[in-house]
Amino acid sequence: MTCSEVERVLPELLDDASERAFPAGFETHVKSCPACSGLVSDLRLIASESRQLAASEEPSPRVWLRIAAELRAEGLIREPNSAPSRPILISTSPRRRWSAWWLAPVAAALLAAGAYVVSHKPAPQVAKQTPAVPVTVPVRVPSAVPENATVSPDRVTTPAPQQLARKAAKPEDRVGPAARPAVEPEPSAEDQQFLSVVSTRAPSMRATYESELQAVNADIRETQAYVNRHPGDADARQHLMDAYQQKALLYQMALDRIQ
Amino acid sequence: MTDPKQGITEAEAIEQAKQGHEAAFEVLYHLHKRRVYSLCLRMVSNPAQAEDLAQEAFLQLFRKIGTFRGESAFSTWLHRMTVNVVLMQLRKKGLPVVSLEETLESDDEVPRKEFGTQDVKLTGSIDRLQLQRAIDKLPPGYRTVFVLHDVEGFEHNEIAEMVGCSIGNSKSQLHKARLKLRDYLKFMRAEKAKTG
Repeated sequence: MTCSEVERVLPELLDDASERAFPAGFETHVKSCPACSGLVSDLRLIASESRQLAASEEPSPRVWLRIAAELRAEGLIREPNSAPSRPILISTSPRRRWSAWWLAPVAAALLAAGAYVVSHKPAPQVAKQTPAVPVTVPVRVPSAVPENATVSPDRVTTPAPQQLARKAAKPEDRVGPAARPAVEPEPSAEDQQFLSVVSTRAPSMRATYESELQAVNADIRETQAYVNRHPGDADARQHLMDAYQQKALLYQMALDRIQ
Repeated sequence: MTDPKQGITEAEAIEQAKQGHEAAFEVLYHLHKRRVYSLCLRMVSNPAQAEDLAQEAFLQLFRKIGTFRGESAFSTWLHRMTVNVVLMQLRKKGLPVVSLEETLESDDEVPRKEFGTQDVKLTGSIDRLQLQRAIDKLPPGYRTVFVLHDVEGFEHNEIAEMVGCSIGNSKSQLHKARLKLRDYLKFMRAEKAKTG
């Protein structure tokens, strides 16, 4: 068998998961030809490694929130003890609306915090901090929020920014479940208020908001830790800004659902 | 399949979703979100667009969940639906679902190794990020078949049916996609070695 003949039969051989019987002379040629041997092993490697990409990416929290909103709007979700289903942008009691007054400015503050963190490289001593050490970013927020309010990226919780996890070459650079602290930090005051507001929602929706908040907080904290270690990484800084935007969006969604 | 957070099986969630229980929809979403989103992302190489497509796939699924009778696996049903949503989007945008190069390329133009030259083997393992970047660089038609077969595990007869091409065409495009990927990956590895 020649190199050309090997290449001609390869598609059939490599596509069959059960690896059908090799044609006569195939194995003999591949064993003796470094080029064909390399080709066969590379194509097998590509096929096997590609399987690992399935289900490797996490959609942002907003996807479920948008789906749930659409299902409600279409009446596909039927709330227990409330028929017909509730529309999404529903006016509720003045008390509930009042309880959420802080959400919009806090969402804006989050974006400002993200912009601040992304655009300012940390001082050397900050860059050396470990994820366990809180990095508090002072942020001036609109007058509706107390003047001394701060947004503390590291006071919030964790799942991994996958791009960064993949990008991390050394074990100490990895940001994933293995790198997470065993104990989650206490929620910030803003998050506690957020959780208090969404606690009035249906149990399943409340659980969604809680898990999404936890996820985005985790993203912020891990990305912040990564940025501290790699202050020059533009991709990481952009990812951090995106994470803050996600959190602001989550706050905004909660506000939309309440007003 | 059971959602550890909610403690109910997929089958239970499907039945409850048919009754309109939000928690059941959520369970189904969380069980399958990564696979669906990853599939969309691999096929369109655009995170925002992939999110929109994943959303649309789940919405279509939930709208039709009352018709699900369980003859096929729920995940199979969902993934077929996702593929259809993505392919529909590609067609709407005028992107080739089956590679145009298939009809334009002669066999001589297929990326091929140069015999007699030193061939750098990929060997060992492939960096996942590099592999993703290489897949993103594939022409849309090649990418579709490659993602459906090598990443998602569809058979050629299924791909041919979904994409609307022959089985032979699907096999041919897959092989060419793998050859292109090999070239891209070797190039990336060489570039990385140059920059240290």
